[in-house]
Amino acid sequence: MPKVPILMPQLGESIAEATIIRLNIAVGESVVPDQEVIEVETNKATMGVTALCAGEVVEIVADEGVSYAVGSVLGMLEVTQDELDRTGEKSMDEIGMTAVGASQASADDDEESNLHFKTEDGGYHEPVLVEPNVKGLPVPTGKGGAHYISPRMRARMAELGLRAADISAISGSGAGGRVTVEDLESFLQYISSWPHTKASPMRLAVADAMRRSWTRPLATVARPLVMDKILDHRRSQAPKPGPALYILRALALALAENPTTAGYLIGESIVHPRAFDIGVAVQVDDGVLVPIIRNADTKTLSELVEDYNRLVDLARSRKLPEDATQHGIATVTNFGTFGLTWGTPIPLPNETLILGLSAGVKRPVWSEQTGTFIPVTEAEIDLTFDHRVVDGGGAGMLLNRISELLQKPESL
Amino acid sequence: MSDVTYIDAIHAALDDALENDPRVFLYGQDIGKFGGAFKATKGLQEKYPGRVLDAPISEDAMAGMAIGAAIEGARPVLEMQFADFSSVAFNQIVNQAATHFYRTGVPIPLTMRLPSGGTPGSGPFHSQSMESLYAHYPGLVVVTPATVADAYSMLMESIEMDDPVVYCEHKFLYRWLKSSSYESDHLPIGKARVTRSGKHATVVTYSAMVHEAVRAAEMLQTEGGWEIEVVDLRSVKPMDTDTIIASVARTGRLLAVGEAFPWGGVTAEVVSRVCADGFHLLDAPPVRLNARDTPIPYHPKLWATHRPTPESIAESLRKLLNY
Amino acid sequence: MDTTTEGLEREHVRHVFRAMLMSRVLENKLGSLYKAGRIVGGVYLGKGQEAVSASLASCLQKGRDVYAPLIRDQAGRTAFGEEIIDCTRTYLGSVDGPMRGRDGNIHRGRPAEGMPAMISHLGAAISLVSGMLLAKRLRGDMEGVVGATCVGDGCTSTGAFHEGLNSAAVENLPLVLTVANNQYAYSTPNSSQFVCHDLVDKAAGYGVQGHSVDGTDMLACIAVMQEAVDRARAGEGPQLVVASMLRLTGHGEHDDGSYVNAGLKSSELGRDSLEVGKSQMIEHGFSDAAEIEEWKKQDEEAVQQAVAISQKESEPDPYQDDWLAYSNPDLQNR
Repeated sequence: MPKVPILMPQLGESIAEATIIRLNIAVGESVVPDQEVIEVETNKATMGVTALCAGEVVEIVADEGVSYAVGSVLGMLEVTQDELDRTGEKSMDEIGMTAVGASQASADDDEESNLHFKTEDGGYHEPVLVEPNVKGLPVPTGKGGAHYISPRMRARMAELGLRAADISAISGSGAGGRVTVEDLESFLQYISSWPHTKASPMRLAVADAMRRSWTRPLATVARPLVMDKILDHRRSQAPKPGPALYILRALALALAENPTTAGYLIGESIVHPRAFDIGVAVQVDDGVLVPIIRNADTKTLSELVEDYNRLVDLARSRKLPEDATQHGIATVTNFGTFGLTWGTPIPLPNETLILGLSAGVKRPVWSEQTGTFIPVTEAEIDLTFDHRVVDGGGAGMLLNRISELLQKPESL
Repeated sequence: MSDVTYIDAIHAALDDALENDPRVFLYGQDIGKFGGAFKATKGLQEKYPGRVLDAPISEDAMAGMAIGAAIEGARPVLEMQFADFSSVAFNQIVNQAATHFYRTGVPIPLTMRLPSGGTPGSGPFHSQSMESLYAHYPGLVVVTPATVADAYSMLMESIEMDDPVVYCEHKFLYRWLKSSSYESDHLPIGKARVTRSGKHATVVTYSAMVHEAVRAAEMLQTEGGWEIEVVDLRSVKPMDTDTIIASVARTGRLLAVGEAFPWGGVTAEVVSRVCADGFHLLDAPPVRLNARDTPIPYHPKLWATHRPTPESIAESLRKLLNY
Repeated sequence: MDTTTEGLEREHVRHVFRAMLMSRVLENKLGSLYKAGRIVGGVYLGKGQEAVSASLASCLQKGRDVYAPLIRDQAGRTAFGEEIIDCTRTYLGSVDGPMRGRDGNIHRGRPAEGMPAMISHLGAAISLVSGMLLAKRLRGDMEGVVGATCVGDGCTSTGAFHEGLNSAAVENLPLVLTVANNQYAYSTPNSSQFVCHDLVDKAAGYGVQGHSVDGTDMLACIAVMQEAVDRARAGEGPQLVVASMLRLTGHGEHDDGSYVNAGLKSSELGRDSLEVGKSQMIEHGFSDAAEIEEWKKQDEEAVQQAVAISQKESEPDPYQDDWLAYSNPDLQNR
């Protein structure tokens, strides 16, 4: 038979709960319509709680002397379907309620207040979204620059595909020297007569990566590296590892000893490397590609050569699979191949470190042993790092350790 | 036609409404034989016997009577002698008239005329602008005509409309504003008008301030070639957000000007809507210019600086343009 | 009982009593629904005031006259011809009621049928009814029409009461303004509400005719209301009727009225007009105990049916709105 709840009524506009003074009914007793079954007291008045239909009391979940929130179920009547139809009362199932005690009273109060918004199947109505009746320019999502860009300026830049860095050429005429929309429009007008070419997708990809990386405080340190032992070792190998692979392997070993140096700062956390996967920068037409050498700390130099050569070839022929360039933790770049003697490379935006190798140069170095100048091949290694994560000392220690490892190339 | 004034347009609209529709009647203090404090109803009692009724000084009962008559299908036009005194009728207007259609499905085709705004020497109780208060209440239409033609066409439209309309007529414009005719462009209530087009900044305003804003725009045109767009809201509720946003899209800068007190109100609503729907259109923070936050002073010198003037509007615009 | 029955029509008296009885039965059920937690918001009953309420409305003719009931006028509403399902639907928030869930309890009406829906602000209906009469006069439809409303003793202190009655007097409108002086405005007794000797003295100040009646005496109420309505109908201008009784409930069902003076309860003012009316019906042969008992049973059955229907009807959907006011164009455009 259906069950009908006896509810704590709302006994006044500001009343949240009431205390049971007396239960006039017991389980098993019959009640008649409009019978006052429970007496309750609020801070304003004493009242009776009524039952609205004839039935039998099958459960009482309220205790005398205890307060219950408005809307709480205090007990239950079992009534016939005919009586429900006659009175228009709804069963527990129909209103989707369960009995509760005092401890759950406040939670149930919330439930009760939501009853009006329930759908027939017991779910809740989804609010209908109102279509805005005004449609303007798309709201841009650009990153903040060093100076103020108004909402309108942002919208216009987004429309033109411009970034904050693109307007650095413009000297602003607005308050505090800010660049106004008028400044932007006149600059664009001015440069429209200069020769233009379309930037390649590769160029735009590098530009995007470098612009994002440049939002961080990057610093560069360097030290000399004696190359003779590496060159000797290299001559004895077949196939010959490239010089960049030597420093890549040394970097992997040094980081494996002290992984925090390659950590990545997100909010208040340092994210540590999961594996020592190191990229190598490969110059290609109109850009740079960075294939990743996986687990460079656990494979020997000779084991790495094949991977390295294959990936570099794929990069040069622009056939690198997408996953071959993802999820590295640091990069090496051998700008020495261009005859350069130092540089300040920029790490990828998702990496904290990049290690550069310059061209080797023969220098006279004084030997205490022989008491003469002897010829030594010396290069420079340059480490650029995110100064939020690594300091100059840490960077120097990393470079020194790399140099030390490279003096024993046979153990690489 | 020779020159017609703003008050002539109101008088003509009342005359035509009485002529066209037997359901229309006028109710208010001193509006019968005397012709009203501002002569808006002069001669109408003689012309329409029994339909221009003098009321006792009982704003609450006047409004209640007009609402009751509207329930019965009449189209009452209620004249408050001054907008300021409608505060006595506030309960009837916001609780009875505004809620009635929502609650019962029976419309209240009531027009309440509020002689609004400041004139020199009128002081704190004969100068108020009440449009923001009434616009706050769901169910009321609030109109603020700025031109002779709008004074005529919007009063006719208000009387024809089934919703209760608060018609704010500006006393300063009564005789100062003249036109060759009150023929209108038939722009409906709910549509704003671009009074003057421009590309450097938008002034959104209404009622008498439209004229002060146009003067300020002329000053800046002469001064620096600035082209200022002036948008006349015409009705503050409903508010024509589309026209406002479209203007700000052209100019990127917004100044909202109103004669009412500065806390909240129509100008705040304009700024709020532009920030919400047109944030990306803004090239400078939106600016509001209102009356000072004091009661309205008596002395003409005090009064002249209490409300926005062409000079103070121009100064606000200079700051906005230099941002 | 010394009440005369001279000039009273049998069917009129029976109509008044039946409305009083139905009102009591309906209000008892409303109280029960409230105390079972089925009604959200307040429940405001007119126990004790049935005679005044029903006798006023019984003198009016629905379709011609205007009747603006207030908070304790269930009996008057029934006498005027309001269906009881309008009441149960409004209290239970049914979307099929006259207020469709947008307003509740006693804030209901059918203005197009001459019964405005009250607002909570006291005295606001006085000028409203006057305006309805004014409009009828303007369109030449005034012949024999009366407008009536009922207020309480508390309302006589408001500006709206003064403005409304004065304006009706100025226009010489056929308004019957009944003051049900039930001794308390919520918890405020007469002594804190006014200091005039008798509220009916105010009639002279407004230049209108005043009438006093014992609000617990059904037959007296019918006689006085009939006279006041007849005078208004005859063009004698506004009539102020002051009826005295005691409110036999709290202000609302949330209020147990513990502040009501015990002496008043046991005085003549504290009589239950329904009990007095029942005695009068039997004593003067308008009915008998068996017929009254049968009426009561019929009423209980009708009320239960109205409640059952209303409880089964839909509640309003908060995500659907069809309020097409011009001031709300966003909704119109949807």
